[in-house]
Amino acid sequence: MTRIFLNGREIEVAADTTVLRAALDNGVYVPYFCWHPRLSVAGNCRICMVEVEGKGLDIACNMPVSEGMKVLTDSDEVRAARKAMMQFLTLNHPVDCGICDKAGECTLQDYHFAYNGAPSISAEPKVRATKFHDLGDRILIDNERCIVCSRCVRFTHEVSRSKALGIQGRGDTSLVRCEEGRRFDDPYSDNVIDLCPVGALLSRSFLYKARVWFLEATPSVCPGCARGCAIRIWHLRADRRLQRLDPRRNLEIARVTPLDDPAVNGPWICNKGRDLAAIFERPRADQAMLRGRPVPLAEAISEARRLVDGAKRRTALVSSWGSDGELAAFRDHLAARFDVRVKPDHVPQPGEIVEDDILIRADKNPNTRGARALFGERPVAFEPGTDLVLVWGEGFDYSRVPAGAKVVLLGSYLAPENGAADVFLPISVQTERDGSYTNSDGIARRFEACFPPGETIAHAADLFAAIGGRP
Amino acid sequence: MMDLGRRKSYWNRPTLGLWERSYLPEVLRGLAVTGGVIARNLARWLTFRKGALTARYPEERRADYAAGNRGKHVLTTRPDGRPQCIACMLCATACPARVIEIEAAFDPADAAHPKHPARFEIDYSRCVFCGLCVEACPEDAIRMPQDVPDLPSHDRGEMWLSRDHLLGWCPRSDAAKPYPPGPAGGGEGGSL
Repeated sequence: MTRIFLNGREIEVAADTTVLRAALDNGVYVPYFCWHPRLSVAGNCRICMVEVEGKGLDIACNMPVSEGMKVLTDSDEVRAARKAMMQFLTLNHPVDCGICDKAGECTLQDYHFAYNGAPSISAEPKVRATKFHDLGDRILIDNERCIVCSRCVRFTHEVSRSKALGIQGRGDTSLVRCEEGRRFDDPYSDNVIDLCPVGALLSRSFLYKARVWFLEATPSVCPGCARGCAIRIWHLRADRRLQRLDPRRNLEIARVTPLDDPAVNGPWICNKGRDLAAIFERPRADQAMLRGRPVPLAEAISEARRLVDGAKRRTALVSSWGSDGELAAFRDHLAARFDVRVKPDHVPQPGEIVEDDILIRADKNPNTRGARALFGERPVAFEPGTDLVLVWGEGFDYSRVPAGAKVVLLGSYLAPENGAADVFLPISVQTERDGSYTNSDGIARRFEACFPPGETIAHAADLFAAIGGRP
Repeated sequence: MMDLGRRKSYWNRPTLGLWERSYLPEVLRGLAVTGGVIARNLARWLTFRKGALTARYPEERRADYAAGNRGKHVLTTRPDGRPQCIACMLCATACPARVIEIEAAFDPADAAHPKHPARFEIDYSRCVFCGLCVEACPEDAIRMPQDVPDLPSHDRGEMWLSRDHLLGWCPRSDAAKPYPPGPAGGGEGGSL
């Protein structure tokens, strides 16, 4: 341990840490653009200047602590240096916050108000650079906004290791670009949008969709694979619901960002996690049916109950997308009367990355481990004489249903098999309920409801109680 | 000096005297007041004079709005006729009644104005005509002239006005604003 003086306060810090980390850990905020806790130190933005008594100004992110050093983070010299640095960083930065998607969560914007606040003192016109340069299918770069902090470049070299990005040119003509002849095809590419301290890196899917202060984030868990990354699902705030424009946007996922969870995913998620809307916003099934005939939900439930009670040998295929609470409800109400098998709802799609050594797991279901903990690891199969199959969720080949067996299906999305099932019950999806998933490492994480379920849609846990509970 | 220690009571409790509590005399007095107004207006109407100040909206409209009245919104245009609005949504943010809804669109062809409003809707059934949208606008894209909306309807849905109407009902151009030239040379051009 090393003893340093931070603004006159004596603190004990680890001997191998830096002044910036020591300050942040001890509740003293030092501004930074290029530094990131998970990336190497670049030391190029020069905004984290602090004063060491007797030694003058230097950057805190690259300054190791030494015994007895006296650090000042808010002296007159430091404030003057920060203000000058902000003038320099905004020298060529366009004042187009009005049309910048980062506005509202932009570090440069916040620091301008906190540390500068003055208009530009430069008499020269701003240097113009490429706007909306095409980096790849998912990301555009606005080079006028870029402050060349190199966070995105270091991310592709150190975290995703695709080495896709680099900086060409120098000085005020520096441009972040892909390797020549290559597109930004990194499977973790969208993390650079969050990493970017300004609005230079822009998501094509979120471009001009909403101002961020119209959105709110619900903590959730990515169901894309068994890693179960912690995410934030952003959607329109309740007091910003649209009336005149497309009201479906009120129930849409605007974007997905990672939620820093050191035990699971750190501050990153893969691009599949960004595209959860493609999973959850497929056409929904919202009508209970008996062999394709629409009926009220209550009638379908009583028919399901009658079929379950009347069957002799029953098999249940439970969903590995069910939450821990739903799986427990199934165990409590129905499992005793069923031969229960855990079914993989999703398998890797063609072209999808099956597994890597960063985050992506081969099992494309969020709660296989939670389901197997309750119901064992036996593969999907049917004992001879099975006359009732309860299918919960997707990913089942209905040609495998034993001849003559009745099918009770709980599903969320429109599919041809819904109409063929003897009983079809529409159930909610993850964004419509609370719950938790247990990831492949056995770590359980909670997710919260973002949207209300439709009136004709039930939660699976309630259906299990209604079908299996005592009358 | 106000006594800050004691909480001031702002609500005057009604004190009823014997006259008020006897009920009927006060009721009759009230009826006499309203009856007098009816009789006076009726007498003026029968003698072909204007009675009450009530205008028979919407057939009849008052013409005496103050010069500074803030009425129906105008969206200003650039010299080429496209809306000045950049869809920054600061008006929608500032609006205390939350009646402005904007759908932004991306136009890569126009380097100076890549963001523009594909839809711009104002709900006049809830607008409070405070003018905060006009103050919030960084582009002088929305103004409120004197004219009032005049949207009598039995349906709230018909009290929304959309982008093309707001651009066209009282065309105003904001030609004074210079725009910087596009990016010069550097890099491989504004490709998309």
